[in-house]
Amino acid sequence: MTATLCATLLRNQGWLPLIQSVRHGSKAVTRHKRPLHILKQKLLAVTQYIPPVRPVPPGAYPSKNKHVQEDNGFTLLLKKDLKKVFEECKMIAVVQKNGSSAEEMLVLKHRLFKHGIIVKSFPNQVTRSFLSDSVYCNMAPLFIGPTVLFVSKEPKVKEMLSALKASPQMTLLGGCIDNTLLSAQGIVGYSKLPSVTVIQGELVSGLTMLTSRTASMLQRHPAHLSALLQQYIKQQSLGDGVEAAPKAEEAT
Amino acid sequence: MISLVKAAVGGMTGICRAHSHQLAPLQSCLKVCAAGLKTYQITPDYSNVVLPEKPKLKFLNKVPNLKKAKKESKKLRDIQGPARAANSFTSGQYAIVALGGGYLHWGHLEMMRLTINRKMDARTTFARWRINAPYKPITRKGLGQRMGGGKGAIDHYVTPVRYGRLIVELGGKVELGEVEHILIEVAKKLPFPAKVMSREGLEEMQRKQKEMEESNQNPWTFKRIVEGNMLGIRKVLSPFDLRNHGRFTGKFHFPERV
Repeated sequence: MTATLCATLLRNQGWLPLIQSVRHGSKAVTRHKRPLHILKQKLLAVTQYIPPVRPVPPGAYPSKNKHVQEDNGFTLLLKKDLKKVFEECKMIAVVQKNGSSAEEMLVLKHRLFKHGIIVKSFPNQVTRSFLSDSVYCNMAPLFIGPTVLFVSKEPKVKEMLSALKASPQMTLLGGCIDNTLLSAQGIVGYSKLPSVTVIQGELVSGLTMLTSRTASMLQRHPAHLSALLQQYIKQQSLGDGVEAAPKAEEAT
Repeated sequence: MISLVKAAVGGMTGICRAHSHQLAPLQSCLKVCAAGLKTYQITPDYSNVVLPEKPKLKFLNKVPNLKKAKKESKKLRDIQGPARAANSFTSGQYAIVALGGGYLHWGHLEMMRLTINRKMDARTTFARWRINAPYKPITRKGLGQRMGGGKGAIDHYVTPVRYGRLIVELGGKVELGEVEHILIEVAKKLPFPAKVMSREGLEEMQRKQKEMEESNQNPWTFKRIVEGNMLGIRKVLSPFDLRNHGRFTGKFHFPERV
């Protein structure tokens, strides 16, 4: 009550303080935000947080040091498999399969397996990350979309192309045959090349053509040879040897 | 298994039967050739999580068990400033963190207890209180009373909460996404702003505050000016401002202040 209040205020009997403040503000902790003294407002305005100056907004450019995601166990397994494939197989063709059903894939795989070509599929992300580390980095642009790999130890390109012709949805993108990157046209051209033995035979015959011809001429009757040589001298003296010599060759 | 495969395949085409010795490519043929292989996220390992016997929130009393209840002064400073106690995780993974000061009374606690107990799965989650039952008496005078006549009688009890205090902790064999919706529902009904955080979330918040302090380009900081009493500014500030460097005012916290 007022009596108790007065008792605390009156230190001596009959003493009242000179100034009694009637107005009082709110307490320190209020439900509303208390109005701040002007000096405190100024202090808060001066001491505001100023962020560090960034030359470029944070999301504008891709970060220089790209955060390389750690490969999980499955990815490592797939990469090992890929490495083995690239080491063992001479022919690796990248084919896009668009809208082929499981039956068609089954038939195609069977046809290819007869010639020793295996069809493998890996996730594009895994292949791209594997290729970026290996020598075959230029193959990376081939792996876009639903791709499959046709791998074989021996480069059986003709059979592969014939099998692909049968299934129209499979598009050949390119490949790596005998450590050479080839485009689709390159692979077609490669298929048209004759086999190694044929070329070797042609090369050998071309080199030994002169000697074999002389040997065949010497094996004939010596009168024949002497007649040929006389005609040759005549041509030399006449001066139109180019036309007569092949004619003489044809005659023999 | 192989016989089953043979039977299934034999039904489809006659080609397969002819090449019985080449079973390997056929078994792989039966695989569906998907456009890409999905890489799965490894599920978190909950083997070291121990679920306690009583997973649900226990009942908290409305009134503390005192022989003689004493009236207490208002002491609003128990709302002011940052929390020094119960501001870090103990047993749980996810918690409601108070972002301001306030009083929680029995109604709030009952709401929290009932909502969480109803919505959480007792087999996989457990919940723990991080606040005490109400212990601070709040007095009220009767309706229509004039000023004076002594302090009012004790009306009810409350628990004071400061900024940064954990209210309820949840843990168990769950991820944040499974538990978030329950805790957000509760956090919205509290009398102070509150946020649902995991352990990493709380660390992230503290880290960001430190980063702000370090990367501040302003050479003039509140702390520097007030500690040096520059321009006699302590005339208009309280010792509370000196301690809290202008980040708190009453029960409010300013996240953008450094």
